[in-house]
Amino acid sequence: MNKPSLHPFTWWLWAFGLAIAIVRFDSTWFTVSCVGAVMVIVYSFRDDAPWAKSFDWTLKLSLWILALRTFIGITIGVPIPGTEIFRLPIVPLPSWMPGIRIGGGVTLERLSSALSEGLLICSIIAIFGAAASLTSPHRLLRVLPVYIYEFAVAVVIATSVLPQLVTSVKRIRMAQRLRGQDTRGFTSWKRVAIPLLEESLARSLDLAAAMDSRGYGVSKKRSRYRPISWHLKDSLVVISAFGLVVIS
Amino acid sequence: MIKFSNVSLIYPNSTKTVLEDLNLTIAEGELVLVIGPTGSGKSSLLRLINGLVPHHTGGILAGDVSVDGVSTQLSKPGGMAHLIGIVGQNPANGFVADTVEEELAFGMEVLNLPNEVMRKRVEEILDLLSLAALRNRSIATLSGGEQQRVAIGAALVTHPKVLVLDEPTSALDPIAAEEVLSILYRLVHDLGLTVVIAEHKLERVIQFADRIVYINGDGAANVGTPEEILMNSPIAPPIVHLARALGMKEIGVTVREMRRMTTDIRGIKASEPVAALPRPSEAVISFEKLTVSYDNQTALNSVSATIFAGEIVAVMARNGAGKSSLLKTLAGVNRPNNGTVSLLGHEPFTLHGKKRRESIGFIPQEPSDLLYGQSVKIECEQADRDNDLVEGTTHDVLQQLVPGISLSTHPRDLSEGQRLGLALSVVLSSNPAILILDEPTRGLDYEAKSELTRMLIKFASTFGKAVLLATHDVELVAELASRVIFIADGDIVADGSTLDVLLSSPAFAPQVAKVMAPQPWLSVKDVVAAIEGAQ
Repeated sequence: MNKPSLHPFTWWLWAFGLAIAIVRFDSTWFTVSCVGAVMVIVYSFRDDAPWAKSFDWTLKLSLWILALRTFIGITIGVPIPGTEIFRLPIVPLPSWMPGIRIGGGVTLERLSSALSEGLLICSIIAIFGAAASLTSPHRLLRVLPVYIYEFAVAVVIATSVLPQLVTSVKRIRMAQRLRGQDTRGFTSWKRVAIPLLEESLARSLDLAAAMDSRGYGVSKKRSRYRPISWHLKDSLVVISAFGLVVIS
Repeated sequence: MIKFSNVSLIYPNSTKTVLEDLNLTIAEGELVLVIGPTGSGKSSLLRLINGLVPHHTGGILAGDVSVDGVSTQLSKPGGMAHLIGIVGQNPANGFVADTVEEELAFGMEVLNLPNEVMRKRVEEILDLLSLAALRNRSIATLSGGEQQRVAIGAALVTHPKVLVLDEPTSALDPIAAEEVLSILYRLVHDLGLTVVIAEHKLERVIQFADRIVYINGDGAANVGTPEEILMNSPIAPPIVHLARALGMKEIGVTVREMRRMTTDIRGIKASEPVAALPRPSEAVISFEKLTVSYDNQTALNSVSATIFAGEIVAVMARNGAGKSSLLKTLAGVNRPNNGTVSLLGHEPFTLHGKKRRESIGFIPQEPSDLLYGQSVKIECEQADRDNDLVEGTTHDVLQQLVPGISLSTHPRDLSEGQRLGLALSVVLSSNPAILILDEPTRGLDYEAKSELTRMLIKFASTFGKAVLLATHDVELVAELASRVIFIADGDIVADGSTLDVLLSSPAFAPQVAKVMAPQPWLSVKDVVAAIEGAQ
């Protein structure tokens, strides 16, 4: 399938628009349907570039965050009255910590407010993950103006690190598995994290050195070999997101 | 063109001077080769030329480096981009664009060249480096040799006066390496380009070099013609070792020179070639009609072979011809699409944990992938615990392989060779039936390589284990392997003794064999043995 090639800013602007709309609507149904729509879009538009996989990882990450946020939300904090689902034992706290309660009754209201707050954070992470996986970081670099040089370098390194992390994690986990180590569970992550950090740092330094040696950021003007132009379809994508902001 | 005057360099938090009082003038149109043991400061010397050292890395620089009259003290790397093209050790890490054409144009875009000039130069470079067929390809999908050519093209497109390359052939197969080097040779001769190369595999580059800079690692550096430097250098290609072993007064650095000087030796009536060792009876791993494919592309096409205990088998192929797929399938990373693999009766894919450690030892291309401890000590203790060994066993293995590594060192601070040694000892501590290595000699110097050769031969012959390695390094294969499997396009095209396979193809023949053809001698050792046999 021939995928339409969009301006590199398009998906990022679109993500911004959606994020704003989600926050302003503050409705669980809207958030869930937004994330659903984003998933459909990512799975049908992304190609097999290395960064395309980053969306799956942000989804996993946001599920973790959601679980953690909900757990904390229902165990710590002020009680919200309502229909009680179950009751946790209350942890006794010293008298100098008034107003905080750990455990106690978990009401339906409390659970749903914890869930919807967590969902908000997660949807925003997932939406920006979608933008990262739909946009080539290299093309993004080409359209950023030179006068924000330092910023542009940081952005490119940041956006290219995530997908590289994904490929490196795979490679390192394979090596660890071949060493006969268990690659599931939390402790195994420590074994992956150390070689991973080391490698991404080295890669980022290499990229920065290469860009520096090739004169990036020296001249304030920059010519374009094949200019990337803004088309009608880019406007349509962005308008679709900001339209939601307007009606929210 | 390039002038180093009284250059000394020291990095912060280090007591070792990298360079001390180096004086060196490189003329226009010269091809200079920088050699030295790993970690001696070759890369630092290269990066001094455009000011990446010290502007990018930190460090204290005394003296002055200037290129075409521009001093790196006054100019940052970016300011010298029109003068110097630099290709790093790992070009894949330095790419800034997605497609070949955009990558080539990037350097000109940032220099703000007009569009017509860019169009013309991109075409010129595409032709010069035979990249025209790849112009719209995504860089991530290119093979190692193609990526290297793109990186060189991207550096040349701004018409620099100096081209600096850090180990340009270390990841390439012999044919791709030859291609890249002959392009450089042509650029030097046709355009008067000044080229500075650092390289470990001297046998590949030595014939192109005008001068050599030899860095000791203790700050001292010698500069001279290849003959002068190699006469007494511990780092030397096999061809020079051959000259030394034959007691020749002069050394030749090219195959042609050496052939002229050794006519009488080639003429001796060699004794019968030593009969190949009878094949040991016990099969360690065997695969039959193995087919592996990814995304509808066939990586391996119904290949079969058996590897026996005590054998050292080298898998050779062009970049991207299915070497890694074979290794990964045998190591049990992938399940084959078709066919069977049997490792002492088990299917490697189904092995886990301790059972896997005892059956297969696998050293990936990046040995550091295996290491996650904060120090050598933690790493060794972990291996002891994993394999229920007496404390200190792994460290003893390490001491034998690479003596003198401090236990408190962080694995990241080890040299490439030491890190490989650590990964090897961790893997070997579980005493696997077969050891599989993927490209173990990338970035290793000759000393580390001969160390590796010694370790692997000992492992295979003394303990009767099998070793399987994928490599591009024909010299290593000549020294080490007893059998070679040659893969092309997913098929095994040759499988036989090292002697037969290497001698049947000139591109994959080691230097000594090229000099001594038609005599069937692969290494210096063989030549010496044959001469002694004849006397």
